[in-house]
Amino acid sequence: MTQKDPEGFERKALHKFADFANQRVLEIGCGEGRLTWKYAAASNLTVGFDPDHDALRVARADSPYTMQKNVHFAEASASHIPFVNETFDIAILAWSL
Amino acid sequence: MVHALDEIRRTLKPNGVLIDLRPVEENWPVEIVSSMGWQAAGRLTDLPIAVADDEAAFNAMREAESKGWYFKEKEKEFAFFYYWDTPSEMKEFMDEEWEGFEKLEESVFSAVKSAWTLANADARVRVRVKMLITRWRKT
Repeated sequence: MTQKDPEGFERKALHKFADFANQRVLEIGCGEGRLTWKYAAASNLTVGFDPDHDALRVARADSPYTMQKNVHFAEASASHIPFVNETFDIAILAWSL
Repeated sequence: MVHALDEIRRTLKPNGVLIDLRPVEENWPVEIVSSMGWQAAGRLTDLPIAVADDEAAFNAMREAESKGWYFKEKEKEFAFFYYWDTPSEMKEFMDEEWEGFEKLEESVFSAVKSAWTLANADARVRVRVKMLITRWRKT
């Protein structure tokens, strides 16, 4: 079995670089939501994008009950983001640039 | 990529933040780790497509910066470890997930197996991935 970042170095780095409290967050390349769950609880709204339909199904299935109101996933890519101008406080390119 | 950075900028509020979080190719080390400590066992080989992807990402950010869309506030490197209980599990993962990007040379795999066999009973195998996190501010 593969274990990824059990030390939590990625989570620590992410929280040192951004304060997610009450922010509206866009995550590009969210995949199965591995990174999403490391910050989304603090956010006001998190929208995760990924072109991989199957990965998004996993992300939705894994969505903790307490986050279902403020975390949403959509099948899309960064080339066309279906939101109006100036919607988000923070955008994350999650292993996707 | 550059178009995507412009599209992200469009949806960011004034003074918004873009976090770029990604692995960077650097012939990532393979290590044997146990309760006794860790030891290097070799390195993976970056394949051309992975190196080209890295270069394209850096070029895209440089272009976005030169266009005045973002400015860099902060940057840091850190390690992201993948762990497996055995060398075979590591190889299986690499064959499935990293094919075309990273190569585990047969000589390195042999060295990893030998080091793991000789190590403590609780020894595991890990790859030390070099990560880069950058905070960009929308101008």
